[in-house]
Amino acid sequence: MNKIDVSLENVVETIKAFYDPAAHHFLTLNALRAPEDQIELEWIFTRYGVIEEPTVFTLTCKRDVLIPSVTSFIPSAIMSERETVDMFGVSIEGAKRGLYLDDDSLQMPLGRCRV
Amino acid sequence: MKKTVEIPLGSQHISLLEPIRFRFHCENEVIRDVDADVGFVHRGVEEACASRFEFKQVGYVVARVCGLCAITHSLGYTLAVEKLLHVSTNERIKYLRMLMVELDRIHSHMLCLAHTSENAGFEALFMQIMNDRELIMDVQEALSGNRVQFDYISIGGVNRDLSVEAAALVLRNLALLEPKIDELFERFTNNWSLSLKYRGIGALSLEQAYMYNTLGPLARAAGLVTDVRLETDDFPYAQVGFEIITERGGDIYARNLVRLRELKQSMQMVRNIVEGLPEGAIQEKTKGKPEGEAIARVEAPRGELMYLVRGNKTSILERVRIKTPTFSGIPAMIEIFKGSNFADAPAILASFDPCMSCTAK
Repeated sequence: MNKIDVSLENVVETIKAFYDPAAHHFLTLNALRAPEDQIELEWIFTRYGVIEEPTVFTLTCKRDVLIPSVTSFIPSAIMSERETVDMFGVSIEGAKRGLYLDDDSLQMPLGRCRV
Repeated sequence: MKKTVEIPLGSQHISLLEPIRFRFHCENEVIRDVDADVGFVHRGVEEACASRFEFKQVGYVVARVCGLCAITHSLGYTLAVEKLLHVSTNERIKYLRMLMVELDRIHSHMLCLAHTSENAGFEALFMQIMNDRELIMDVQEALSGNRVQFDYISIGGVNRDLSVEAAALVLRNLALLEPKIDELFERFTNNWSLSLKYRGIGALSLEQAYMYNTLGPLARAAGLVTDVRLETDDFPYAQVGFEIITERGGDIYARNLVRLRELKQSMQMVRNIVEGLPEGAIQEKTKGKPEGEAIARVEAPRGELMYLVRGNKTSILERVRIKTPTFSGIPAMIEIFKGSNFADAPAILASFDPCMSCTAK
């Protein structure tokens, strides 16, 4: 896959400059725990109708910051943004909690340290 | 100002196979806005895969995400792990995997068409399609040992070879099914209730399909040329007769047509696979533990299924990310509902062929 590192400040502009709705397919937003209470986020794209490795925009940041949303130009990203908020306990602009988890559920199941 | 009425549909409803709750905000009969709640069957599969099971077991865990498309789940995961282990499989294994995926597509599309019939009031047709679908279920049972949640695919290969008797059963049952599908095609294109009634209902334009990253039959019915079988080279689909199928209407009728045409194409592909099955072993040697990150995509019956796997050279994976077709399709579904009549909501919903078990995982 083709990985492109982005920062919290330029993530939205970088993806917006890259993304062409008629050519690119937004696959998903993936998240992983990173050391020192950080989170790694990956916005993954492919192209319609062609064989090509996915393009992945990668951001590593502290877990307690507000992560900007890409839903203004990729409306379908709302689902994976809400899932990430539930599963990892992070905050993403405009993404409500409660897609999968109720208030009395075990919170941020994938964001907990397993050690 | 028109009065707005809030009408719930689900979480348990006669038109729903699985739990999902919609709240329709209607002005008279017209749906103006929709809220969807999808998490009723969340089971924490991703968490389990990256904490409780070794990577060799995970393929059998993810087969439990969904009973209907278990093959595509275990295949998606297996392809991703094989990339990390640098395993390449021989042509026979690829053909056997394609065989099971296409059989999965046939019975899944038939299930969707059965429910579409039921929603149009054709209960006898629903039962007839479900009965015909048993021909494929029997084949899958003979090939994999199970009717659902097939543990057929393993890392480096498949768990069972295709015997001469099983190959004969595949061809015999396809021959029995063929005229039944032709008859179904006729009904879905010429019967008023199943064709004209659904034209223009629940329509998604090509622009909307692009905007909402729509996939699978929903996208192809709107004319969007996307199919993972076309966009990856993991399998030799062109050799077995795959060609992308699209329609233009984007409505329920077009979605039914895409599924019917794909059904016929998958049947032909299954025949080509069985008749042209290459020689070879059904299991390649694998060694080592996954290290790095890989993405694999498979065209499940409802559209693109993605697995992202990250390993750190231990038996337990660091991350298993599952992205299912229905999950991605929900924003498009909500958009389609807006402006539709509430009375059409169950039929529109059935035409999405949603899988909540996959969505909530």
